[in-house]
Amino acid sequence: MIMAIVKKELLQLRRDPRLMGLIIVMPLVLMILFAVALKLEPNNVKMAYLDEDRSFFSDLIKTGLWSDGYFEMYEVKTEADIIEEIRSGRAKSGMHISKDFSALLTENQQPHITLYVDGTMPSLTTAMKYNSSAATDEGVTNDMYFLDEDAPNTVIAEAPFVMDTEILFNPDEKETWFFLPGVIGVLIMQIALILTGITIVREREQHTLEQLFVTPISKFSFIIGKLLPYVVITLIDFYVILGVGWLLFDLPQPSSHLLLFALAFVYVAVMISLGLFISLISQTQQQAMFVAIFIIVPSILLSGFIFPIEAIPASVRVISYLLPFTYFVEIIRGLLIKQTLLVDLLPAYGALMAFVVVFVSASVMKFKRSL
Amino acid sequence: MIEAEKLVKSFKGVRRVDEVSLHVKKGEIFGLLGPNAAGKTTVIRMLCGIMEADNGSVRINNTSVQNAKKDFGYVAQYFGQYAELTVFENLKFYAEMYGVRDEKRLEALIERYQLSAFRDSEAGALSGGYKRRLALVCALAHDPKVLFLDEPTAGIDPVTRKLLWDDFYALSAEGKTLFVTTHYMEEAARCHQLAFIAEGKMIAQGTPSSIKSALGDVLVYSVKISYTPEMTKAIDGVDGVVLTNQFGDDLHIVTEKQVDKRVLEEVMGSVYGEEITLSESEPDLEDVFIALTQGGRK
Repeated sequence: MIMAIVKKELLQLRRDPRLMGLIIVMPLVLMILFAVALKLEPNNVKMAYLDEDRSFFSDLIKTGLWSDGYFEMYEVKTEADIIEEIRSGRAKSGMHISKDFSALLTENQQPHITLYVDGTMPSLTTAMKYNSSAATDEGVTNDMYFLDEDAPNTVIAEAPFVMDTEILFNPDEKETWFFLPGVIGVLIMQIALILTGITIVREREQHTLEQLFVTPISKFSFIIGKLLPYVVITLIDFYVILGVGWLLFDLPQPSSHLLLFALAFVYVAVMISLGLFISLISQTQQQAMFVAIFIIVPSILLSGFIFPIEAIPASVRVISYLLPFTYFVEIIRGLLIKQTLLVDLLPAYGALMAFVVVFVSASVMKFKRSL
Repeated sequence: MIEAEKLVKSFKGVRRVDEVSLHVKKGEIFGLLGPNAAGKTTVIRMLCGIMEADNGSVRINNTSVQNAKKDFGYVAQYFGQYAELTVFENLKFYAEMYGVRDEKRLEALIERYQLSAFRDSEAGALSGGYKRRLALVCALAHDPKVLFLDEPTAGIDPVTRKLLWDDFYALSAEGKTLFVTTHYMEEAARCHQLAFIAEGKMIAQGTPSSIKSALGDVLVYSVKISYTPEMTKAIDGVDGVVLTNQFGDDLHIVTEKQVDKRVLEEVMGSVYGEEITLSESEPDLEDVFIALTQGGRK
């Protein structure tokens, strides 16, 4: 008898080709995607540097960092610029070589170089500390010893120079600061996609949609009416989750409450409209759930939330930029931890708004009055 | 009131509705009769604007379906109300879809359809009969001129079915036009006008009595006899027999006029082992229905 049920279940699954497709294709795609994409070691990390020394030696250090492909370096004018570049998100790291570097080096005074790291990205800081050792490789430092080892009364420093790493924005490397801002986005994504993902499919499955189609309601009013309650519920959820972060987990206050609300609103709008689109392309609630998961899992892994985007190969990184969550992570870290200025967050806000437009238009096009 | 001209609808390249035209007058109860999968639901959906026709046109109350939405109500074949909402909440919702906020009118509707006892019960908990009444009440919330009913009494007990039909007559007497799809003969017989479709094609149209003539020149014989497959096979083998139809111990045989009654009696007698006498009667709607359906399939 158990076998009869097993057979029936398998037959039913086989008759739902879309679901079967999702069951087979989803793990395959995600497995391959993650195998290619998920690396802990970042590449081409943007580094803003200021080289005041401009000597043969400082060039050696830059070349050392550059040649390993870990860093993509560009020059700025002041030390403050380095921090601003990182705050804005244009750079994830920075380096300052001061004016007296080669002078101190030749006197064997062990000069210091400061390396700045964006402390809002969890694995980036660890990887950066490790990767920046390229600057202290023997190949680089061989030419930097200036006193005769055999001469009496001479103490030679173990390394010709010292690299200080300064972790910006999250100097204590608090893990809650790394993850909590992104967690808010993940939770909102789940709530919104699942709430709205099934909303239309459910009406279809329960035959209420057919009854509604007969009434004079317009496409637009129907969609707005369907979405509004979920927008409000999810917004409330956003602040409840954030409140827990503030009260219990020492999450910092945002640089601007207005900007935070704007983020909450536009992000919720993206997720609700994406949920609506999922609901419109799905025939059953099961299918809608699968499609939602198909979006949630890569969002968590490819958005820079856990693994640095810089570690994702450029070809796959396109997907990162197609995920709304990527922009959410950037903005919320900017607002809560880095105190980034609005002007530097505008492109990310713009991207989120573009998603709303795309998903709403796609939904309206997909939503036919006819069954 | 309802004018449909040459409606065509195909699914996956197969024509499910093939040039169906209908003309329904105001205050009429119009029955669309046909076997399962004949295209009845597709026709009613096209008439209500839920489904677009590939070809042909529909006008309700002299205007397009989209413009006439406030003029008609629709009761789908499946229960299409919200199971989690109460009876009154459902009714109020559908009323508001049409901009109707007159709660007194809604309460009166609930009373008229004996739903008062369930006014605050969740719709999902209602029995089949009451679910139908709720669907009807929701379709009537905005006092439409035309009511489309897709198999309104399917799976309903005879008492509730009669109550619903009494009400359909009352609605018709109030001047409302009713368009009903069905495959129940006794229901078809209650309609003022009937259209018969099979395999998406219109086969006959007219009053229930006139539609019987759709079979053409036929005779119907009946005899009290129990069913045996041998007997049915023998009768079907006689040239000119259109249909055999067993009702319990009553066997109906529909034949073309030129068939000799004595030949038929002889064939049957030889199978039965005793002499058989056939008596003549009028074809009833069911005979017509089956004969036309089989004809459609040929």
